[in-house]
Amino acid sequence: MRAYIVGVGKTRFGPTSKSIAELAQEATLEALSDAGLGPDDLDALIVSNFLGGPNQRQLHLNSVVAGIFPGLHLPGWRVEAACASGGVAIHNGVLSLAKYRTVLVLGLERMSDVVGNELTRNIGMAGDAMLDQVEGLNFPASYALVTQAHMAAYGTTTRDLDLVSLKNHRNANLNPKAHFYLKHVDQRDIDAGPSVAHPLRLFDCCPVSDGASALLIASEPRGGRSIEILASAVSTDVISLSQRSTLTSFAAAKDAASRAYLEAGIRPSDVDLAEVHDCFTIAEIVAMEDLGLAKPGEAVALLRAGETALGGRMPVNPSGGLKAGGHAIGATGVSQAYEITTQLRGEAGARQVHSARIGLTHNIGGVGGTCAIHVLGVPR
Amino acid sequence: MIHWVCPSCARRYSYHLPECTWCRAPLDDRVAASAEIVAITEVCVPSVGHEDVPYWCALVRACDGGQSIVKLDHPAMVGDEVPFGREAASALAIVGVVGTGVMGRGLAELLLSRGHHVVWAGRSADRLSVARDKLIERLGRVMDDEQLESVAAHLETSVDLHGLDRCAVVIEAVVENVAAKRSVLRAVESVMAPGAILATNTSGLPIEELANAIQRPERFGVLHFFNPATRMRLVETAVGSRTSPETSAFLDAFARSLGKIPVRVAAQPAFAVNRALMPLINEAVRELEEEVASAELIDEAVRLGLNHPMGPLALADLIGLDTVVNIMDNLSARTGDPTYAPRPFLRQLVAAGKLGRKSGEGFFSYESVPRAI
Repeated sequence: MRAYIVGVGKTRFGPTSKSIAELAQEATLEALSDAGLGPDDLDALIVSNFLGGPNQRQLHLNSVVAGIFPGLHLPGWRVEAACASGGVAIHNGVLSLAKYRTVLVLGLERMSDVVGNELTRNIGMAGDAMLDQVEGLNFPASYALVTQAHMAAYGTTTRDLDLVSLKNHRNANLNPKAHFYLKHVDQRDIDAGPSVAHPLRLFDCCPVSDGASALLIASEPRGGRSIEILASAVSTDVISLSQRSTLTSFAAAKDAASRAYLEAGIRPSDVDLAEVHDCFTIAEIVAMEDLGLAKPGEAVALLRAGETALGGRMPVNPSGGLKAGGHAIGATGVSQAYEITTQLRGEAGARQVHSARIGLTHNIGGVGGTCAIHVLGVPR
Repeated sequence: MIHWVCPSCARRYSYHLPECTWCRAPLDDRVAASAEIVAITEVCVPSVGHEDVPYWCALVRACDGGQSIVKLDHPAMVGDEVPFGREAASALAIVGVVGTGVMGRGLAELLLSRGHHVVWAGRSADRLSVARDKLIERLGRVMDDEQLESVAAHLETSVDLHGLDRCAVVIEAVVENVAAKRSVLRAVESVMAPGAILATNTSGLPIEELANAIQRPERFGVLHFFNPATRMRLVETAVGSRTSPETSAFLDAFARSLGKIPVRVAAQPAFAVNRALMPLINEAVRELEEEVASAELIDEAVRLGLNHPMGPLALADLIGLDTVVNIMDNLSARTGDPTYAPRPFLRQLVAAGKLGRKSGEGFFSYESVPRAI
């Protein structure tokens, strides 16, 4: 069965006073308008969210979101797979086309209600409670270990990490919906950033954002702007780094990538642009290698040559990525598909990647415990 | 560090499970005594349950291939060995603690919890027995019977300094008074092994006067812990003119091995913390004398305005008003600066037997809920 993205919507990512319901409605209405559809055209609702429980003491979000559709009794449920919730929700949406014709996949997150120690603990709930959390292995610490292993294996340097940060901040400056749209970041800012978990410093980390993203997925295209979902793949791995045999690569990402390429009938070299899960700068480098966009240890060569920048051979994270576009966790995977759809339609404005026909999204939960990959293409 | 391995297919599990998911064979447990650091990071952002930063998180691998994440309170390098369990404890030094007051008990608890064997010396069998019961009762709140029994086996008490001869380190924590400390230090040193290190937990008495009481001042220095010793991360370390460089380095290393952060201070009166704190308390008493506000309001203002967890007057009650007077008298005598003199109202309270929490009344009353007097 074929699957199409027929409408997309997204709020700006970043701190806001808007409630969960307001964010949900804003992204949903934009997607409905984009598709030329109304609420009565929906057949099912899938809500992606990670931290509603610990942050707002609010679970059961499909029912909360029903509040923007009073009287409409949609089949609906919530999907949670840590930071990969959004990608897994899209996968759910594609699968649900076996039963429903038009499905709203809505990613939501409010992060700014909780700060500091509590928020770091809550995000850490994506790690194993006993193996990681009690030992103080929070998210920056996990990715710091990945960074050190990558540096030891391949000679990756902190300057290479800076290149990811600089590129993604430059891209975000071209994206009005990015968390850091208006923030200019140069090497001096990066050098002045405090240490978070050695060797990662402030500008190696994505911000925590509020935001929502919506996709309308349908079994048939609708008008000339629909984008086809050529592949939808999810894979899982053990949760703790201590259960893995390597730190420099995520087995779940490699597995999901091989499933996705097979399903789409393409090779990595066919990918024109990608939105990858750069929650930390090192994660973009690891993602490119896991996706086969570069050989192990060789992603930094592409970065240094500018090939992943806008205008380069294979732009990565033209939206600014999580790093500078923002990370509204439950909305992130959905937002990646929003960006690729916008790019493939040729509607990305100042950050448009030219003559792109195939784009890929790579959404990671935890430190590679879950990976969802989607290949999107302009219908032939 | 423990892992479970299937005897049939050799799959490795990190969770305690009854059987292999494939072979359905019961799993064998593999316990490693030590492991090598594969990667390590210094974590600078706090989170709930991990408030004190920096700390270090390491991925370690045992020779049987088992891996684990370990939180460390000191830096280490890739390739360093991290010990686990009982084997680690047996390698630790026997440490002596002299004194059965609040600090003595806190130190004994800290050392036991870090795996040391402790010889706890005090003046009378009764005091020691009461203090020991209190310590065991405290540990019982966080340990099960088996843990408690094993820890209790590592605690011996001594009324005649017997047992201190086996200690590699002895920490003196008796009353904050030069004469008392001199006599205890002299007696303790006379039974200690010649190579052992003697430290005093003074909060700022003149170190040369203390060192003059003993025979081996080169192996003597200051380890000033803060109450409660199990929780407070600071240790002020200080040395005298005759302290050897080895002893000096040992003081900081030993503090770090207990999960503390040593701060080296010159042997000046009251060191760094009390030199800042005691005049603050004294000035708060002066505010009370000058009717700036009530005791409750002064404390509330300072708590909120300086983001202190406790107001200065309530803190003085906790420390003991006699101790505060003692330290301020000592400060003003040694510096020759009369502005350090304890405030008259502070002296009045002490003269009336109102010493703070320990007497049931100070600036506040502790019979039931704290209230201003």
